[in-house]
Amino acid sequence: MSEEGEPKLVNPEFTKEVIKRGADTITLCFQCATCTGGCPSGRITAFRTRKLMRRVQLGFKEDVLPSDELWLCTTCMTCDERCPRGVKITDIIMTLRNMAVEEGHMAEAHKRTAGMLIKTGHAIPMGDKFRELRKTLKLDEVPPTVLCDPKLYEDVVKIMKATEFDKLIGERIDG
Amino acid sequence: MDVAEEGSETGVEREEEEPRIGVYVCHCGLNIAGSVDVEAVSAYAAGLPGVVLSKDYRYSCSDPGQEMMKEDIQKHALNRLVVASCSPRLHEPTFRAMAEEAGMNRYLVEMANIREHCSWVHLYDKEGGTEKAKELVRMAVAKARLLEAQVEKKVPVLRKTAVIGAGVAGIQAALDLADSGYKVHLIEKDVSIGGRMAQIDKTFPTMDCSICILAPKMSEVGRHPNVEVLTCAEVKSVSGYVGNFVITIKKKARFVNKNCTACGDCSTACPVAVPNEFDLGLASRKAIYTPFAQAVPSTYAVDIVTCLNDGPVLACEKCIEACDVEDCIDFNARDETIDLEVGTIIVATGASTFDPKVLEEYGYGKYPNVLTTLEFERLINAGGPSGGHLIRPSDLEPPKNVAFIQCIGSRTEKDGNPYCSNICCMETIKDALLIKEHWPDTEIDVYYMDIRAFGKGFEDLYKRARSLGVRFIRGIPAEALHLEGDDVRLIGENTLLSEIYDEEYDMVILSVGIEPREDSEVVQRLFNLSKTADGFFMESHPKLLPVDTPTKGVFLAGCAESPKDIKDSVTQACAAASRANILMAKGEVTVEAITPMYVEDNCNGCGLCVKVCPYNAIELIGKKPNQKIKIIEAACTGCGTCGAECKFEGLIMRHFTDEQIVAQIDGALDENPEGKILAFCCNWCSYAGADFAGVSRMQYPSNVRIIKTMCSGRVSENFVRRGFEKRAGAVLVSGCHLQDCHYINANYQTKKRVEKLWKEMEKLGLDTNRLQLDWFTAAEGQKFADKIGEMKEIVEKVDPKEIDKAAETFKPKKKKRKQ
Repeated sequence: MSEEGEPKLVNPEFTKEVIKRGADTITLCFQCATCTGGCPSGRITAFRTRKLMRRVQLGFKEDVLPSDELWLCTTCMTCDERCPRGVKITDIIMTLRNMAVEEGHMAEAHKRTAGMLIKTGHAIPMGDKFRELRKTLKLDEVPPTVLCDPKLYEDVVKIMKATEFDKLIGERIDG
Repeated sequence: MDVAEEGSETGVEREEEEPRIGVYVCHCGLNIAGSVDVEAVSAYAAGLPGVVLSKDYRYSCSDPGQEMMKEDIQKHALNRLVVASCSPRLHEPTFRAMAEEAGMNRYLVEMANIREHCSWVHLYDKEGGTEKAKELVRMAVAKARLLEAQVEKKVPVLRKTAVIGAGVAGIQAALDLADSGYKVHLIEKDVSIGGRMAQIDKTFPTMDCSICILAPKMSEVGRHPNVEVLTCAEVKSVSGYVGNFVITIKKKARFVNKNCTACGDCSTACPVAVPNEFDLGLASRKAIYTPFAQAVPSTYAVDIVTCLNDGPVLACEKCIEACDVEDCIDFNARDETIDLEVGTIIVATGASTFDPKVLEEYGYGKYPNVLTTLEFERLINAGGPSGGHLIRPSDLEPPKNVAFIQCIGSRTEKDGNPYCSNICCMETIKDALLIKEHWPDTEIDVYYMDIRAFGKGFEDLYKRARSLGVRFIRGIPAEALHLEGDDVRLIGENTLLSEIYDEEYDMVILSVGIEPREDSEVVQRLFNLSKTADGFFMESHPKLLPVDTPTKGVFLAGCAESPKDIKDSVTQACAAASRANILMAKGEVTVEAITPMYVEDNCNGCGLCVKVCPYNAIELIGKKPNQKIKIIEAACTGCGTCGAECKFEGLIMRHFTDEQIVAQIDGALDENPEGKILAFCCNWCSYAGADFAGVSRMQYPSNVRIIKTMCSGRVSENFVRRGFEKRAGAVLVSGCHLQDCHYINANYQTKKRVEKLWKEMEKLGLDTNRLQLDWFTAAEGQKFADKIGEMKEIVEKVDPKEIDKAAETFKPKKKKRKQ
């Protein structure tokens, strides 16, 4: 993110590209800020949904794609519900995240979660605590997912390779 | 009041003069020339049969342009004119008047709409646009060859007006016309006149007391010798035409007669209390009541729905007992039906405010101290339930801090209306000032997106509010939370600081927008009006005919046309009165010579035309088998439904004859017919909708050829058959939406005929998809453009064999009798 006062690099192609990827409602935003006002993340972080929308409208690509705050949205969709202009805000944020990842920007936490998927086939690791908890609930220790059958995990890996998910997040799958 | 001379009537003694047509292709600056090769069109026109002169010209409608045409008419002995320029709905009257000045009958002018229907909708397809323009000219020339001179009839205009709705706009229009010497019927559905302005406390930007400036006008109109005020009255039906309308009114019984002295004793005695609509339910009223002190008429009224008495059966006589005046309260009173004959009508039916209950995040209707601006007006009004003391509904305490939220239900694509409501910014600023003037210590925050202080004196008022300490915060609250003690917490972002605010208020006022009345559709149908996309009534032209409607003799005033403040409502009322005055002062109006001509020899008295006429303008006379018909000219409006229904060539529609329309069809389909869409559009809705698409530059494929009729009811089945015989790729029949026909219900005949054709085609094994029927309002330009796009696909997919088959099938079996 550039410092205040530093000249912004306006890139109109960026706005066009975001619109081309389905975010055509971005042009409707008139900065009323009901999105920021309702944002549960914005109340405890510096995330300003409205500002993100404005930066996209103006083509401030370098302020958007590498930024950390792009990853502060929890996709609860409160902003979508409140927006009087019908801007598909959460969809736009998802589009922006896809574009960011393509350019090699991804929040550390998200990257770790994605990496876990590659390693184990699960986004959330199956630790001892979970096993204990399942036991107390009289469930099988291992859930009926890829964890119970290594063949299923191999299939998931195949899919991830075919879709180049591994390349996308910068983790190689061996073999 | 002269009817056309016998000899000059079409077809009777037709002058067999050779057509000498002059064609003028207008550049309209670059409006047309920018995407149509006008020189090529003009050169093409020169070669068309009957054309003796063809020119292109920069601005045909300009004085020099018109002078040139006049000279050409003389010099080249032209007897027909084709002007290829804008929509005939815009400039046909101009060119007709010019022709008349040059000694040519006004009905010998034909227009080709190469702007709204061509250059503006094919901005990026110069080749297709030019090709289309050529063919539109060819169609116009084909019709022009067959045009005949007509003599217009004059009908008297009654010097009486009906004004519908007695808010400030209706009152002003009624006063202006009454002062000009006309009889005015002022019709109001509530028990008092006054409308919204009577509810409001002060007006912006001058801070005048609203009722103080309105009340004198109310009593003036109430006692004006030329005005009949009809309250508790609603319009039930409207018939007739410009100059000669008949309006049927239902006047509900008031149960209190004019002897009432408005002492109020009856109301004090009445045991029934219900929410007072005038105070928006913030206070109560009795079943016998007057809504406010300055009401006109001052006579009390019984709300029979809530009264314990049901008409003459008396369960309670408390009001009668309390009344000192003899026979003042009469439960035997009955609703009345009144017929009014008027020459002109002014529709001033007003508007409603947006109901913010749907915006659940603000808690309106749930949190007691969240109010609307209209409720605030009643709370701060000396005549209101709190006597002008600003108090919170929850505990009747004065609020220490107040927040206003702007744009509630306005400028939204979701819950509410997409437009800016025009008045809310200034209303809030005025309201904030009112609080500051009375209780200067009250803290006031206004949450806004844009403050629109655009009018005379508005910016000054805005400045005053700021200088008195009203805080304007940019950023609309995302939600209102209810706190203990009925306070309200607002959370949002101050966009100018990029900081979150989280503030508590004693009272929150939602600045609600204006929207069309719920019953506006009823009014629309009664008076044959059109609506714009926002739901308000549409004017004839947004710039040049801002108070006229498509129904001649009916005018608009006030918020029925669009959201506006008091000054604009009054200005528009004066304008509407002036427009009505022009018609009535003249005392007569010419009606277009487009009524049918009766060919008695061909008529076999079947009476089908009588059945389909929406105006009962055709009567059967004589007995079978010598039954014939009679046309009542004065009642006929020229829709042409009878002409389309007649199978025996017994009715010839003046200026829209079968011959002329067939010539246009053939002209459209002379070249490459398989790739074309032949479209029939009615003058009032679908043709105007296509014009709207043009004005708004909505792009659509260039392979459509539009033929205008007054009503879709004019489209005879034979026109469609002719289209397919001539190998049209597809045919579109279009008109006003079924309930909105400009000719009462003539478009039901359109529907019937198209459905009949579909059945016929199905039976013959033809592709019914090639015949489309659709309805467009004058505001549905996008819908029209989309429809043409959709039909282009039909045309592209149609099998050539299918076209051959239809062409063969619809070839006339035997030669019809020639006139």
